[in-house]
Amino acid sequence: MLDETKTGLDTVEGGPQLSGKSTDSSGGKMDDPDGHPSVIALLSQFGDAVSGHRVFAGTQHVVWIDSACNLEILRWLREQQDHQYDMISDITAVDYGAGRPIEVVYQLFSTVYKRALRVRCKLPLDGLEIDSIVELWSAANWLEREVYDLFGVTFRKHPDLRRILMPHDYEEGHPLRKDFPLRGRFSRAEQTRRALDQSVEHSYIAEEMDLGRDPQQATPIIGTKDGDE
Amino acid sequence: MEEGGARMGLKDALPGGGTSSVTGGMFGDGSPTFLTSKIDWIINWSRRNSLWPMPFGTACCAIEMMASAASNYDLARFGMERMSFSPRQADVLICAGRVPYKLAPVLRRIWDQMPQPKWCVSMGACASSGGVFDVYSMVQGIDTIIPVDVYVPGCPPRPEGLIYGLMMIQEKIREESLSRHFEHRAEDPSSVARPHANDAQVIGLTGPFGNSTQQEELSNKEPGTRGELPEELLP
Repeated sequence: MLDETKTGLDTVEGGPQLSGKSTDSSGGKMDDPDGHPSVIALLSQFGDAVSGHRVFAGTQHVVWIDSACNLEILRWLREQQDHQYDMISDITAVDYGAGRPIEVVYQLFSTVYKRALRVRCKLPLDGLEIDSIVELWSAANWLEREVYDLFGVTFRKHPDLRRILMPHDYEEGHPLRKDFPLRGRFSRAEQTRRALDQSVEHSYIAEEMDLGRDPQQATPIIGTKDGDE
Repeated sequence: MEEGGARMGLKDALPGGGTSSVTGGMFGDGSPTFLTSKIDWIINWSRRNSLWPMPFGTACCAIEMMASAASNYDLARFGMERMSFSPRQADVLICAGRVPYKLAPVLRRIWDQMPQPKWCVSMGACASSGGVFDVYSMVQGIDTIIPVDVYVPGCPPRPEGLIYGLMMIQEKIREESLSRHFEHRAEDPSSVARPHANDAQVIGLTGPFGNSTQQEELSNKEPGTRGELPEELLP
């Protein structure tokens, strides 16, 4: 049992490894997809669109896919009877700095097969656009808003693409980008002035303000599936 | 009354007794200054022993604040019987925890909603100075937003620390006098929702301690002029 859990931990034991001048976090590498049927099926079904596959920390399979067909591949992963990734655990992004592409990360989980898969899409800095997957998982709505807020990635056809964490009128940029200065772009005096100028209510849309009222009369929030249909 | 009874202590503690032969009293030489000093004493006594805190807890300091109010430390012993979750019925704002810029107008509005007389305790390192969060999103000390009477250091402070801070507020109230009412209660209506500190004060208050980020002192540098990181440090 102990030996089973320790397989594939070589990269962990070696500690964090510097990839030198590599401009590609996957390195174009293909690890052995054995043991994860979804990766095998992905490689046979979308072989051209899958640009890399690595196994991290023993069991975490990661595939890099073409950002142009993220919607198609994720829909296939969600709806295929053999995979059924019905839960989107997380959507986030990574900025590797030095002008390298920003990677959008989808963390999927199948409650049917108890199986996890991480899907990553590279986006060049001059084309930070990708299709929204809110139509597949409603939970992606706020997660994509967070990525938009903090990294500046635009999600096409997102029903409600607004800032979610930073103030609605924040003008200093996208804070988790590597080129963003730690203390912001404005002076502290300017930041304080702008903070006190903001109207608290403006961070919310009318439907969100309704949440505090009678649930019988509140209108559904736009962007959810129930609200659209 | 027997020796050491309640009435006895009260009599000893009352200030301003006797005559005012030296300074001259309100009713002429030799008359008592009894009247005004006793009103001061009564009002200050009732104010300082019925301080109702408005808890503004945003982080781990709020846990210590709750512990202070719970049975082991029991803030109610000092008159803070009721945590007032409405600013209209509160006397002391206890800001416990870090305040991001998005929350700054909320804090300011709650302070403006509290009726005079009012006091403010800044509890913990983050509320007092920003603490370790010297970053784009965090208010660098709530004294740039609202006036603060007592700063309680600690990360987070122990309940004893908060109680000591509140007792310092009580000491401050003890020294107040109705004759200096306007000095104590100065509040310009036009300053509502404006920063408490002016620009120079904000810059003075918010300068970074140390420099671990290779940024210039006040982070108003133009974008794109930051030094490049060494290539080998990149992931």
